[in-house]
Amino acid sequence: MTTSAPRSSKSDAPPPAPPGLEAAAFAVFLAVAVLPIAASLAYSFLYTIGLAGLLQHGLTAATWVTVLSSRELWKSLGLSVAVAATVCALAAGGGLLLALALRRQLSRGPLSYAIYLPLALPGTVAAFLGFQILSPAGLLSRLAYRLGVTGSLAAFPALTNDRWAIGIVATEAGLALPFFALLFAQLYESERVADFDALSRTLGASRAQSFWRVAVPLLLDAGASNVLLLFVAALGAYEVPLLLGRQSPQMLSVLAMQKFQRFDLSQKPQAFVIAILYTALSLGVIQRALAHRRRRGRLDLR
Amino acid sequence: MPRDRVASRRRLAAPAAMLAALAVSALCALPPALLLLLSFTHGWPFPEIWPRRLRLDLWAAVVRGGEGAGGGALGGVFLTSLALSCAVGTIATAVAYVTAKHIAYHRLRERLLLLAYAPFVMSPVVLGVALLYLYLRLGLAGSFAGVALAQILFAAGYGVVFFNGFWNREKRDYEELVRTLGGGTGQLYARVLLPLSRDALRLCFFQTFLLSWFQYGLTLLIGGGAVQTLPMKVFDYLFEANLGYAAVAGCLLVLPPVALLWVNRRLLWRIG
Repeated sequence: MTTSAPRSSKSDAPPPAPPGLEAAAFAVFLAVAVLPIAASLAYSFLYTIGLAGLLQHGLTAATWVTVLSSRELWKSLGLSVAVAATVCALAAGGGLLLALALRRQLSRGPLSYAIYLPLALPGTVAAFLGFQILSPAGLLSRLAYRLGVTGSLAAFPALTNDRWAIGIVATEAGLALPFFALLFAQLYESERVADFDALSRTLGASRAQSFWRVAVPLLLDAGASNVLLLFVAALGAYEVPLLLGRQSPQMLSVLAMQKFQRFDLSQKPQAFVIAILYTALSLGVIQRALAHRRRRGRLDLR
Repeated sequence: MPRDRVASRRRLAAPAAMLAALAVSALCALPPALLLLLSFTHGWPFPEIWPRRLRLDLWAAVVRGGEGAGGGALGGVFLTSLALSCAVGTIATAVAYVTAKHIAYHRLRERLLLLAYAPFVMSPVVLGVALLYLYLRLGLAGSFAGVALAQILFAAGYGVVFFNGFWNREKRDYEELVRTLGGGTGQLYARVLLPLSRDALRLCFFQTFLLSWFQYGLTLLIGGGAVQTLPMKVFDYLFEANLGYAAVAGCLLVLPPVALLWVNRRLLWRIG
């Protein structure tokens, strides 16, 4: 039996003033979550311009000039963006394909249980397993050797700590793909894709036209904000690139951490510059995700 | 398309889909299965497909407990991680539940919701780099409370976003009805809102628990090595080239999420 709330006659009136408990919780949230971030960012910025920290020598833009003119930063940024974009494309594309091809199996049968297993793997364990599967002495290499594809350990192509970041991309996409399969399978129901598909077929669309011009755009549009959030997560990933990435170029989080932990104190402000640049980049992406949700009415009180 | 061709195509598609589902299931099960196998492995040289010998002594060391660099310390680290994640999950869920209500019914809800996304703007490592000075000044760095607070920062932001959709017009109508009938805040929560929120609260706790359980970079920076959690032990063992204990620590790290996912599977499907 389903029940519905009695409609208030004042439902269109402005909301009442917030009661004390909620306002107090909001104040706690501001104090615990928002203010420390704001304070940390302000301190980081002051550190980079020489107005705070151990190295303060008065206002200077030297650190910013050094970092912004270094090839290391731009290579790292390029690698991070490329990895994050590829992870998003593979995870969202693969998830979409799974959701559309195996929708029934995702809700019952062995797949409905197994699909959750990768979601239980943290970045640390995923990086460890990625290495155990993809490295030259890993499981794939052993299989290739047994099948006669390779003749030795050295003949196996570099899939970890490699130039193209294949190990990072494969591991992170493998972690995110099941989430997107489940998300798109759920969106298929909530966005009534089956109804639109049937309608388009009734109006004369072929199976392929209905798939490419109705189902895929509907699902991608509904899941776009999640894809953008995955982009931010992949951009800031640390554990997987730390273990499966190369020493140079490094992804942004690894580079920031390395500069922060060096004995050379002059590298510390550079870590803060990278942190601020990363924050600005991800802020832009999150704003786009929120704008997308707003357009779809997901932020309205319903 | 003739009806018999459609029917024969469907007959072919069903076994193909079943096979594909089995293949994907096997791929999903491979990483956890490999992790478990590695925790029992004793000698697995290239190009063997299966380990030469299996052993139980690594797990036995964990069960025996004790101190030291071996597996004995893992039991204690497991309990520290569990206590940390339970504390973070509970506090973050409670704060987020009420904060999200404040934001959802506020006339500036869209702008205030942006604040909830603030922790996501920075990666945990980048945030840790920026936060460390503040935590050092407050005397929180290197302590359990400091690590918990840093993780709550993330988890509470997530929780507010999670509950944003929960606080809708229907809940507000219930609330107004309770108040019209003379109910106080305590009665409103105890008799109406909390019973209505049971599933959402459980799922939020589960997800914030996992956010904390999986956290590595932030714990490493704020904890400074004084607060040891399972993700840190996995990397510690890996950097020592101690693959067996890394796999054992990995298994301990994966077991609770698998159990929670199993219990909450239907809930995730319904609410997620």
